Amino acid sequence: MYKGLKASIINRIFMLTHLTEPFRHYKFLLSQLILRDIKSRYKQSVIGYAWVLINPLLQLLVYSFVFSVVFRFPSNDIPYSVFLFVGLLPWIYVQTVITNSTLALVDNRELLKKVAFPREVFIYSIVISKLVDLFFASLVLAAFIFFYQVSLSTSTWYIFPLLGIQILLVTGIGLVFSTANLFYRDIQYLSNLILMLWMYVSPIVYPLSLVPEEWIWIYKLNPMVGIIEGYRSALFGYSFDTGTILWAFVISSVVFIFGFVMFKRMEKVFADLV
Amino acid sequence: MSDTAISFKNVTKSFYLQDDRTFKELLPNLLRGKPWAKKYTALSNISLNVDPGEIVAIIGKNGSGKSTLLKLIAGVTFPTSGNIHISGKVAPLIELGAGFHYELSGYENIFLNAAILGMHKKEIEAKIEEIIEFSELQEFIHTPVKKYSSGMYMRLGFSIAISIDAPILLIDEVLAVGDAAFQQKCMKKLKEIKDSREKTIIFVSHDEKAVKGFCDRSILISDSKIIADGKTEEVFEIYHQLMHLERAA
Repeated sequence: MYKGLKASIINRIFMLTHLTEPFRHYKFLLSQLILRDIKSRYKQSVIGYAWVLINPLLQLLVYSFVFSVVFRFPSNDIPYSVFLFVGLLPWIYVQTVITNSTLALVDNRELLKKVAFPREVFIYSIVISKLVDLFFASLVLAAFIFFYQVSLSTSTWYIFPLLGIQILLVTGIGLVFSTANLFYRDIQYLSNLILMLWMYVSPIVYPLSLVPEEWIWIYKLNPMVGIIEGYRSALFGYSFDTGTILWAFVISSVVFIFGFVMFKRMEKVFADLV
Repeated sequence: MSDTAISFKNVTKSFYLQDDRTFKELLPNLLRGKPWAKKYTALSNISLNVDPGEIVAIIGKNGSGKSTLLKLIAGVTFPTSGNIHISGKVAPLIELGAGFHYELSGYENIFLNAAILGMHKKEIEAKIEEIIEFSELQEFIHTPVKKYSSGMYMRLGFSIAISIDAPILLIDEVLAVGDAAFQQKCMKKLKEIKDSREKTIIFVSHDEKAVKGFCDRSILISDSKIIADGKTEEVFEIYHQLMHLERAA
């Protein structure tokens, strides 16, 4: 009994050192992979890194037309495009991290067969390099907010803990999908489908107020509801839906822990699969 | 135990080979009661010891288990049973292109590739001149590697791997690429390492001449077992007999 308890504590400490390992011993590798991702993108095309800004702007343009000119969704007292942008940017982050993570292990299969290092650095490098993209795209959002003279609330800084929750969520999903795609190569198509459906069950292009009252409790099971609504509350000074945000935090943590533990267990057979 | 560089004790490695590589095939097949994978034994009950400074060739047909042996040494896969002891860092020579990014310059790729191989920033900075000089790519070092020829790729890859401070070097069929002059240079460098006895080298190759000229000891693997382990000349003789028998059968 006592021995078992001790073993489980040791195990837990062991997991914790695992968790931080990529940031200690593999810091340089991690930074090189992040640089590879960012540099290769700005070298790849003529418009280069500007793509990171053009992509959300184009989506913004089309969605704004469809949902504010054609469908005329309400967006409270703020301009629709600002309302949309606040939901769209974190969503693009979710989308790019998950799509890229799903391919990360398969794309690097030659390395999996040859060199030993913690495989999660591939996923972490994507999570971080897309965060850099998110930062630059947010500057455009800031310009929008300035242009429309939307006054920001003093609770704006809450976007950072919310971002933390979101990072836990996407990292967890990235770890799961990258592994699944190594086993079955069509998971990448499935992940695209899931992402498309997920976008429409999240309050990105429409406000939460349009969701019928009798469905709202099911709707709020989606952790992205708490996160995106949380961003809007933080920036525009609406009252926080604490319960939904807390739920998002719990789900995201569970997804991350599950993803991490599963990934570290499966990691040992990665080289046998590719 | 601790004075060997590589030690395998009764190592068996088996893994599951998937029948279906897509999820859409897996589901109907599982419903029909087909297993998701077949068990496959790549190495069975292997024991071997390699001393520090030894240069050992692994020979055998394709699919005999050579690559699995290399993967076990590199630590990317783990034995199903038995024990493996490796003392010190292992540097694999990575295949053409893997670990490089084609949009990045040769210079940037040195950092990327060396980081993948476990080097830190300061170590790379200290060795970068040496790496560039050995690769003979001074003129093209700031050119994106997508413009490199396969020979140039290989020169860069080899130069990085050779500069890594790792006591164990794994070389897998890669010397076949590159021009004759550079191949000779590589062999010369490898011979220098051999004479200095600083590194243990595991050499996997089909090139009999290269193996005979470079490795004193060879290990022959066939059907996931070690058939012979000894002087290269003798092991090759057994290998030829084996091939001959198989062809006759």
